[in-house]
Parts: sequence; structure tokens; C-alpha cells
Amino acid sequence: MAIRVNPKLIDELATYGAADVQNCYHCGNCSAVCAHSDDTFVFPRKPMRLLQMGLEKRIEASLDPWLCYYCGQCSTQCPRGAEPGETMMSLRRWLTSRYDFTGISRLFYVSWKAEVGALVLVAVLTCVGFLTYGFLNGNIAHYDGPTAFLPSSVVHVFDWVMAVALSLLLLINAGRMWWFTTVKNPRIRPRLASYLKALYLLPLQFLTQKEYARCESRRPWAIHLSLMLSYVTMLILIMFFLKQIQEGPAIAWPFHAFGYVATAGLLFGVIHAMRGRIARKEPHLKHSHESDWIFLVMLLVVTLTGVVQHVLHRSGLELAANIAYVVHLSLVVPMLMLEVPFGKWSHLAYRPLAAFLAAIHRDALVSQRTSTANGEPGSTSRALAAA
Amino acid sequence: MERQRIGVFVCSCGTNIAHHVDVDAVCESVQGMPDVAIASSYRYMCSNPGQEMIARGIQEHQLTRVVIAACSPRMHEKTFRGACKRGGLNPYLCEMANIREQCSWVHSDRLAATEKAKALTSAAIRRVRHHEPLESLTAEMCPNTLVIGGGIAGLTAALELADAAHDVFLVEKTERLGGNLARVDLTAPHLDSARDLLTERITRVRDNPRIKLLLNSELRNLVGYVGNFSATVRTNGASGAHEEKTVDVGNVIVATGYQEFDAGRVTHYGHGKLPNVVTSFEFERMLRTGRIETRDGRLPQYVAIIHCVGSRNKEFHAYCSRVCCMTALKYSHELKSANPSCYVSDIYVDMHAFGKGCEDFYKTTSEVKTLFLMFDKNERPVIRKAAPSDDCDMLIEVNETLSGERIEIPADMVILMVGMEARSDSGEVARLVNISQDRDGWFMESHPKLDPVATTTDGIYIVGTCAAPKDIPDSVAQARAAAARILGKIAKGKIEIDGVFAEVQDERCSGCRMCNELCPYSAIEFNLDTRRSHVIPAACKACGACVAACPSGAIKGRHFTVEQLHAQIEGVLL
Repeated sequence: MAIRVNPKLIDELATYGAADVQNCYHCGNCSAVCAHSDDTFVFPRKPMRLLQMGLEKRIEASLDPWLCYYCGQCSTQCPRGAEPGETMMSLRRWLTSRYDFTGISRLFYVSWKAEVGALVLVAVLTCVGFLTYGFLNGNIAHYDGPTAFLPSSVVHVFDWVMAVALSLLLLINAGRMWWFTTVKNPRIRPRLASYLKALYLLPLQFLTQKEYARCESRRPWAIHLSLMLSYVTMLILIMFFLKQIQEGPAIAWPFHAFGYVATAGLLFGVIHAMRGRIARKEPHLKHSHESDWIFLVMLLVVTLTGVVQHVLHRSGLELAANIAYVVHLSLVVPMLMLEVPFGKWSHLAYRPLAAFLAAIHRDALVSQRTSTANGEPGSTSRALAAA
Repeated sequence: MERQRIGVFVCSCGTNIAHHVDVDAVCESVQGMPDVAIASSYRYMCSNPGQEMIARGIQEHQLTRVVIAACSPRMHEKTFRGACKRGGLNPYLCEMANIREQCSWVHSDRLAATEKAKALTSAAIRRVRHHEPLESLTAEMCPNTLVIGGGIAGLTAALELADAAHDVFLVEKTERLGGNLARVDLTAPHLDSARDLLTERITRVRDNPRIKLLLNSELRNLVGYVGNFSATVRTNGASGAHEEKTVDVGNVIVATGYQEFDAGRVTHYGHGKLPNVVTSFEFERMLRTGRIETRDGRLPQYVAIIHCVGSRNKEFHAYCSRVCCMTALKYSHELKSANPSCYVSDIYVDMHAFGKGCEDFYKTTSEVKTLFLMFDKNERPVIRKAAPSDDCDMLIEVNETLSGERIEIPADMVILMVGMEARSDSGEVARLVNISQDRDGWFMESHPKLDPVATTTDGIYIVGTCAAPKDIPDSVAQARAAAARILGKIAKGKIEIDGVFAEVQDERCSGCRMCNELCPYSAIEFNLDTRRSHVIPAACKACGACVAACPSGAIKGRHFTVEQLHAQIEGVLL
């Protein structure tokens, strides 16, 4: 059965950042130089081809874009300036919008104004909500104690409600990724045992991102890992120890220490990324989509307002600390609410999931090939197609 | 027979000959032969010292004949004839024994190869005794030129010759000049207008008093030989009447061009059945009129271009037509500039972008978002009508080799890149001017690399696409090359004719005319008054066909006499 070519897809992808994919003439240099590309997952060449031809279903079923960590070697080696690295990045954005069942992700990627508008809207709502709660139940001049403007116990509950909502959204989208790439993919017939065998990859990839370390330059991996670990540390502190870090006057030293290290890591990572995107010296930082900037700017202001709030609190300026806290919350809530399930941040789920599913695909293809070799009828054409 | 003093010179050719032939043994073996005055060997006989050795040998030993055992005469006979001339000997008194191509290069047994070299050398010695001193002849060179075909190649050649103040008869079959190029809109890769290229040439041709333009005309007959042809041209008048005239020319340039492949022969492309499947020339017409639209007048949203229609396929033509790839890229540019929102699929077998600026052109075509789709030439795309629910008129199904996917491509218009083929009247032209055709009908050049515009018939040149598919720059270059060759000959004033040719001995000729028809070069005339055949030395290539065929033994091949050949055969056998 012939599959329909869609010459228009390439135009659609342009809004996601794939500007030069049409220049590719399939020499394969990009795949040859890539540390992650192998016999099973041939990229960037193959996804470049699928994109040029507009074979949407095939791209949707492909894990390739998530196996690329954008070291930029391919773009450097490309004889035609087709920017395969940036194409893979754009495909990740496009796939994110496809996995998202709400359609919000797609809206954000094609219109930065919509994204900024949504961030502002959620920020205003958050601000109004917390101010209302604060004025009704506490005193804006009190940071701690029974009349505290925003008591940690209340924020703690709010945090957990938000965490559950975000996790649910992300889980549904991750489920759709599994559905598109593995269940609906006619070329893959995975075995249950493979799922169990590869399960360890989920936490391993999440915490070490060791696939990223296989790129030729390990620096970006190290910086990304430090940023991610800082974020996770901060997340653990907030989700489990909010009382200990928010309330004074005394804060136990371990919370202080972890908090400061995490803050330093976040600031360092974000500023480094921003400087890189301004300097545009490294291939993977040459092209910035609007969504990249929105994400970085949000992360920076969230970190900075957190620092300001902490400093004001430690200085005993409770009124100012409360105002800073409301501002901080009005930034952090829209950032998490919109970026985690619909934006760039969703890759925290898709990256480890892709590594996990890739192992399952690999396993399935090997067994399909073996059964073909053993003369099992029926599987031949599918395995050949996969090969 | 009078005594001769024969000098034998054996060449080692570095190790080319010496590796498998004992050169000194060859010298020794011939030293005792009757009439051999000297026999010596040298590392490179063709080098300056080697040639000097021959010239000095002739003078010191008063040699009357020279034998050189070395490479093929095709390689260095001219060189050694020159050396003999410098030594004061008639150049035709020299004979070569080929102990390289026909001996050392093809044998591995050194002893046997040496024996063979000895036999070949002794054969040459026996033969050279019978050589006669010959003189080359000269003939007049008529400075007029006949150019057949008024396309870009013919126009260019005519202008080049006329600009050098020589008369040209430009014969064009149709009623207008410009040939196939006049049917084209822009040209690849610089997107220059074909009309601009042609208008300047045509105006200059029409204005040049040296060029006698004969439209609606055809060559009917050509007799004579280089420098002295007589051409009969028929001009068709408006009312079916025609007049013939005969002109004297020294050279002929054939620039008859090509014809397009008939797309209807590839039945499953549906040309002639599906309304929006057009050939590249039909599309050129749309471009020239500025209306790119489907049969029912809509602007096509999807345009597909299929390459290699009739080319690179055993079923039709195995060769590549060379210009279609770049023309297809040109269409993509023209389509995108006419309608930026249209999508162009370029369905190709291999992209041949070999010319100057062509690779860049290929890249810029990618940049305007042309979708390149590759197929295997043995598995052609299939075009079918789309369903009413589709947003396109047709669907093209093909196995796409770069992705390995079986795909269908939407199309509102399909352009078939039809290849070039030899004109249907090329056989007639070949017969008239006495040149050969290859298996595809293209005219054959004298040497594909070293002599690409000359033919095996002296004075007949082939330029442009009548010899093989080629683009405008190559056609123009060939036209100018042929003109330069002719101008060189005209400048010399006379043509030199090699002393080796066949001669009819009148007293033995019975006038049977068998040789007249046999001669592949039309070099034998029949004199109706004396009723004897006569060889035109300038046209004769000394192939010997007439000598062998003559039932009366009346024809003598100069430099290839019966005595010479018998002596040579004896030399090999004894």
C-alpha cells in the first residue's frame, strides 16, 4: 500500500524551526558522524527524508528525534547547509505538539504570542488567587507564624495538587508517545519481556542522561546534567521540605546547603545557556526558537525572584518578602503549568521514555529478524520493511 | 632485383618491449640477412637521440631502406618517416615491425615472444625491399562551406566562417531559423532567455552578405572530395514548386540536431490520454506564452516532473540525454517564480549536474523547496487519476529509493522530460554526406576524444546534437571548433594528400564498376568517356577493398602492393 506524500509538511515544520531541510540531498554524512545513529536507528538522514516527503505517520512513529542530543556535529559536517541538527530539534518540537492531546502545545509552538499570553493569564490568576487567600486569612506584614500571609502548609497542598495535575497531563502525553511509536507502528511487534528487561533505563536515563554523554563533546551533557540535578534538588526541597526551607527564623543547615547549591546550579545553567544562545558560536545554539527563549527567561526570573524572596526573608523584611513570594509564585506556577506538559520541559518525560522504547524496538527487530531467518511466514515482509 | 642497404633499428621502449623480448637477440638474428647493412637497438627509438640515430645511420651507411621494430605504426610511423626524411631518404622507404602491441604486450613467454619479434622484423625487412618512393599530392581548397541545419550550432558555425570573410551556404529544412532552441523559454543553469541567445545570432546571420541563407531547403546530393565538393540543394517554394541549385564547397558542416522522444511510446505515463500529462516541449510552450495551467484552465497546485522519459532505458534509448536534468531544475524555478505557492516534485533516477554552474543550480533548486524523489530506472512510476475526494488531479505511484517507501505523489500536472533521439532522416543525411552512424543513429566522429568534430570522411564535420545529446555550450563549442578546423585548411590554400592510395591501371580495367559501389568513401568515379573507373586520391583512405575485389586485378594499392604483402608473409613464415 502506497503512502501519500505531503509536500506541505515541510512548510508546517518551518514554523517549528526547520528552515533548511530541503537542502538535504542524502549523502548520509550526518548519520555517519553521529555517535548515536546505528543500523537500527538511522538519523538524522532518515527523519530528514521523511520530513522532506511529508510522511507524517512515519515521523509520528519514529523515536529517532529523541535519540539525538544535538551536539551539532551533523550540521557542521553537512555539505549543503541543511542543518540536520536543527531539523531534529524542530522534529522534537513537532512531536511534542503531536503527543499533546490538548492541542495547546501546537498552539504555543506556532505562535509565541499565544504562549506569552497564556503565561501572563496564568500569572495574573495565580497572583490574584494568592493575594485573595493571603488577605482573607493572614497579614501581609507577617511572613512566618500563625498569621503568615502565605503559610507553607497551604502552599504545600497547592504544590501537590499542581504536581498531580501536571503528572497526569504528562503521563497521558507520554502514553500517546508510546501509542504512536510502538503500539500503532506496524513494523514493531514488541514482547512483554522486553518491557521488563528495559525498565531500568527509565530511572537511569532520567538521572544520568548517559546517552547525552555519548556525544562527541561531553561539556553540554555536564552542564545540562548539573542544571537538571539542581532543578530536581529544588523540586525535592519544595515538594517534601517546604516547611523547613520556607519558615524561619532558623533554617537547618542541610536545607540551606542544598538550597544554595541548587540555586547556584540553576543560575549557572540558565545564564550559560542564554549566553550561548546570544553568542551563537556552538552549532546547537545557533538557532533559537521563540519557545527556547521564553523557557530560559522564565527559568531565570523564577530563580531570581526565589533568591530575592529568600534574601528579604533572611533580612527580616517580611512585607517585602511576602510581595516577592507572591511574584515568585506568579511566575513559577505558569512556568510549570504550561512548560511541563505543553512546552520544552516535557522532554523530561520523553527523553527517558524514548531510550526505554528504543531498547524495546531494538529487541523486537532482532527477534523479528531471527524469526524471518527461521522461515516463519508472514513476518517476512514486515521485518524486511523494518530492515 | 637491385641490392639494397637496409638499416634495422630495434626499440626497447624502456621495458615495454625489452621486458618480454630480447632486443639484442632480435638484432643479432637479422644481422646476417641479405642486404642488411646495420642492425642496432636503442632504449627509446622515438626520442630525439633515437631519431638522430636513424638519420645518422642513413647517411653513414648510405642506407636505401629502413626498418624500425618498435610500436604500432599508428603510434609513431609519422615520427620515423620524419626521421628518414631528415636523413635524406624518401619517407615511404621506411617500414615498421610492431613488436610491442602485437608482441611484447600480449605475450608472457619471453623466448616465444623473442622468436615472434624476430619473425615480424624479418618480415618487415623482406617487405621493405619492395617499397617504392612515393610523393604526397596536393589539391585546391575551395574556401566556401556548406552548413546543414539552422539551429544554434549551425548558426554559430556559419557566423564564425562568414566573419572570417568566407562564403557560407546555410541550408535549413524548415521555414525558420533557431532549431529546437527556438522552442525553449529559459535556459539552465543561469536562466538566460533562449530567445535572447538566438535573436542576436539570427539577426547577424540574416544581415551577413557572406551567408547565403537557404530556408525550406534540403541537401539532395554531394559529390567530390575534401576541398572540392559539389552540393546540390533543393529549395521548396510556396506552391509546391521547387528549384535545385548546385554550389561548390570545400567543406561541409552537418548540424542537423535531434528530435524529441515520442512520450506516447511509454504507454503507462498516459501521454495523450491523461489531459494534464505534458511533455517538456509542451510545457516550454506554456512557459513561453506565460500561461501555466491545466487543461481546464486551473493553476496547478502540485506539479510533478518525471525524468529520463525514453532515456537510460534498454527498452527505448540506453544513453543519457544530458540536458533533461538541468531543464527539469529550470522548470522548478520557473514554476516557483510563476506561482510561489505551488509544490514541485522532481521524480528522478540520478541527478546529472555535471556542467559548469550546474551543481550550484541543483542546490538552489533544493533551496526553493523542490521535493526530490528518486526511483529505480527499471521500475517506472505509474500515473493514475485521483479520486474526487483527493485535493489533486492525479497520483503517481513509485518506489522511492532514498527512503525505501512505496509512495504516491499528488499531481495536477505531470511534465515528462522527453529525451533526445537521432532524427528520423539522419540515415538519409549520413548517406548523402557519406558518414557513419552508431547503433542509436547518432553520427560518428573520427575519434571520440581527440577528434570529436571530424568524421572519417575528410571535409565533413559534425557539430551539436546530431552527433550525440549535448547542451548549448557544448554545441556552440563544437560549431566553433569545426569552423576553426575549416579556417585552418582554407588558410593553407591547398590540401595535402597522402601518397598512399589506390590506383586503377587503365589498361587492365574492364569497366565493370564493381569497385564504384564497394568503396566506402565514394572515392571511385566512373569516367563515361573512357569507360574506366578512376580513384580520387584525396578521397581514398587506402582501405584496399577495391584492390581485393577487382576481378581483373586492375587496382594497385600504393604502398600495399602484392609483392610487398607476399614478401612480408614469407618473412613471417620462413
